[in-house]
Amino acid sequence: MIAQVILSILLAGILVYAWSEYARSPAVAVLALLVAAAGLYFVWMPEHSTQLAELVGIGRGVDLILYVWVCLSLIVVLNLHLKLRTQMELITALARKIALADAQPPRAAGHPSKNQNDSKS
Amino acid sequence: MEGLARTQIHVVIPAYNEGPVISRVVGEVRRAGYAAVVVDDGSSDATAQAAGAAGATVITHPFNLGQGAALQTGIDYALAQQAEVIVTFDADGQHRVSDISRLTDALEQERADFALGSRFLGQAPNLPPLRRLLLRAATAFTRLTTGLELTDSHNGLRAITRRGAATIKLRQNRMAHASEWLAQIAVSRLRYVECPVTIEYTTYSLAKGQSLGDAVLILLDLFARRLYR
Repeated sequence: MIAQVILSILLAGILVYAWSEYARSPAVAVLALLVAAAGLYFVWMPEHSTQLAELVGIGRGVDLILYVWVCLSLIVVLNLHLKLRTQMELITALARKIALADAQPPRAAGHPSKNQNDSKS
Repeated sequence: MEGLARTQIHVVIPAYNEGPVISRVVGEVRRAGYAAVVVDDGSSDATAQAAGAAGATVITHPFNLGQGAALQTGIDYALAQQAEVIVTFDADGQHRVSDISRLTDALEQERADFALGSRFLGQAPNLPPLRRLLLRAATAFTRLTTGLELTDSHNGLRAITRRGAATIKLRQNRMAHASEWLAQIAVSRLRYVECPVTIEYTTYSLAKGQSLGDAVLILLDLFARRLYR
């Protein structure tokens, strides 16, 4: 009972948060809403998750939820990794552009400057 | 490429905190008559100033991006400067400037677009046995995955023509770029040759070089990259 209440509060928090984020990114918000709602449902109806698990050939409802969770988090990690990589490529392109625009040509002979230290030891 | 002037050969030297040695390397390159392009990869020491004073064009990354990114920046710059041949050269003094002409001659004589240095055709005094083993393994792996007939897959000394350079787009910022070079050379279907070069392992270059842990990371990274394709 205690676990159910705590979980419900957490999931309800996620529901509210997802709802408030709807304007910014609808896809993520809807996904989070669905996951949180499903979580709430199964917290109070654990026997339904077991029925669903048996339907798809998994022994217990908890196992089904665990497997789904592992898959979801792997997808999230992969997604983040790809996003970070794209971002790194953009940053590299930006830094390269700045660096090239700022290239310092050699202080070589032919450009007599006041402090010609170019005798190369 | 008959009668190629050395000023049309740009030697690209990526450097990250190489302050103590960079001016010697740049000085040698300049004395041999080549154009020197130092890409300072966000060093916190005086690498840029030292390289500039020694006569190199200096391009400074605003922060550290990695050797692959630095090489690509140097290649982009050299191409924009109408370089005919681009040489990649390590800043830590382990390469010999006298080997550069061997590579550029090979480009000319073999009508190749890539001339790659090999320490196993040449010499590598003081190469630690463990590192030798590791390099052999990396080479075998590269042969298997790219089909290139090479003896040394992780050699930073290369000479490439304009045409060859235009096909190189390094996306691996960190050390895994060595294998990326070879993958892109294989895809370009342009001619490549391998030339013997000498790698001098000094205490300095060994300390700066990659550790065994880096090598493992590079392997993992490469495997991951193959999975993505």
